[in-house]
Amino acid sequence: MLLGYALVDNTVEFSETKSLTDLPLRVSDIQGPGYYELREGFRFRHGFSSPKWYLLPPEHRLLVVTPSYEASDALNSSERRAVLFGAKPCDLRAITVLDKILLGKHPIYTLKRRSVVGIIVEECLEPGNTCFCAVVGSGPTATSNFDLAYARLDENTVLFKPLSKLGYELVEALSLREAAREHVEAYYSAVERATSTMLKRAPSLREVVRALEKSINSEELWRSLSEECTGCGNCNYVCPTCFCTEIVDRVEETRSTRVALWAGCLTYTYGLVAGGHFRRELYTRYRHFILHKFLFYPRQAEGLLGCVGCGRCITWCPLGLDLREALSRVVREVE
Amino acid sequence: MGVVYENSFKFERSLVVGVAREARGVNTYTIRLSGEYKASPGQFNMLYVYGLGEVPVSISSLPVHRGAYTLVDHTVRVVGAVTRAILLRLGVGSVIGVRGPYGRGWPLQEAWGRDVVIIAGGIGLAPLRPVIKFIEANREKYGRVNVLYGAKSPEHLLYKYELEEYTLIPNTRLLLSSDTPSENWRHHVGFVTDLVEYIDVDTKSAVALICGPEAMMRIAIKKLLEAGFAGENTYVSLERRMRCGVGVCGTCQLGHYFVCRDGPVFRYSDVEEYFWIEGV
Repeated sequence: MLLGYALVDNTVEFSETKSLTDLPLRVSDIQGPGYYELREGFRFRHGFSSPKWYLLPPEHRLLVVTPSYEASDALNSSERRAVLFGAKPCDLRAITVLDKILLGKHPIYTLKRRSVVGIIVEECLEPGNTCFCAVVGSGPTATSNFDLAYARLDENTVLFKPLSKLGYELVEALSLREAAREHVEAYYSAVERATSTMLKRAPSLREVVRALEKSINSEELWRSLSEECTGCGNCNYVCPTCFCTEIVDRVEETRSTRVALWAGCLTYTYGLVAGGHFRRELYTRYRHFILHKFLFYPRQAEGLLGCVGCGRCITWCPLGLDLREALSRVVREVE
Repeated sequence: MGVVYENSFKFERSLVVGVAREARGVNTYTIRLSGEYKASPGQFNMLYVYGLGEVPVSISSLPVHRGAYTLVDHTVRVVGAVTRAILLRLGVGSVIGVRGPYGRGWPLQEAWGRDVVIIAGGIGLAPLRPVIKFIEANREKYGRVNVLYGAKSPEHLLYKYELEEYTLIPNTRLLLSSDTPSENWRHHVGFVTDLVEYIDVDTKSAVALICGPEAMMRIAIKKLLEAGFAGENTYVSLERRMRCGVGVCGTCQLGHYFVCRDGPVFRYSDVEEYFWIEGV
């Protein structure tokens, strides 16, 4: 099965690609804070969904239980083999992050991830307006953990970069020509341009991390930063590394199914327990979202940041709150 | 990818073989698990009630091996849907789902040869009861022991049927408190943390194990540090919203820790950076 960004009813979803005409080859996404539009073009970056939709689906069944407490596995332990096609460097980094936290530990993630036998990455030579992968070091090019990468120099010129044995085999099977020097030069200058464009959009990672470390106790700052947040959790759901889940029972006549659902740390129930609440105030949950991405993930995922700079949380925020502005303010206002 | 598949959410169908009433809305259930089930004091199980869901509950006894089975106690207080169902519907012979044990327990090895102070508030004695039992069974390995235990009222104290027996353990002192005065109550009236000043152990090297409401644990920590205890020798057991028990559902995070996997027992000096911040 081929998994990737596919056109479905005029939107692009990360899903099974049934036909090559589903590929978003002739669209460009226009993204801004709280804004998304598809237009004609050839620079597609990403949509609201990411490989997470496949690897850790929004809703997944864990167990089926009978009223006499016989529990049976509700997982499909023979997932179809899948190749990820056209995933972006930010998506790729997100998978590496999720691997560190969930692989071998979360049954669904482990099964799905194990079914992925190949990863083909599309690099981005022109960042979208909400992109900042270069700031967090996850793009615009892919450097590891993939089989084959490609970049579209223009509408008709594609440059391939094999990494693994499978990647080299693919390049050979496609009888590709070695890239011309001018194309390689055009590629490197486009990468450089994309990188410098993005680096201007947020403070440096070092400044961000240092400021966030100092900010933990600044209740006033976090209250102020989260003033316009509604706690809807959309940022969590579109984030390719957010992995929190809630488990509920769905009861039917003769059985109850234990179903895992995505949970967002911005929503009110995050931290709620019977008889109390560990994160009752919205500012504490907003602070957790950001501190988790920049300070806590590195301590959970062997040094990797939880933010991959895809900008989805900015684009899909109903109020258009911009994470990059929040980071700039933290850098400016902490001491 | 060479990763072994295992559905960590699968529970074991288990039987309730004993129920003891502790206080209003609090019972201790003895549950029979198959095989030689091993758990360390301070670890917890996820208990499942059909159609409602799971709750994390501390193991409040040392596991007792009986032939092909192991018996463990769980002290449950009514707080939400699942615990309400347990208290209202479960009795001897009832079935319940159990998976575990999870988390890291109390540092009983590190405490060898040293004095031990146990401070518990309300239902916080549940995960510490197996510590007391363990010390009793291995008495020569530990120094002087102080148990400080308090509750809202004398009626709210757990394990009333055996509490006084703790004073029979050699070189052990039991100090009790009740937040409110009550007839025939001959112990301290006030907070359990008031009792810290009566501690008679070597504070420089003693190990302190604390469990109770977070507000109580904060006061206990402050007083212990003032009394000369080291942050590295002081431990707390924390609670959070927990759904998986193995560090994958993400809902129990405290800073960068997953309380279910990295805790619930933490060395105070390891969580100090988060301990005093609201909602981190």
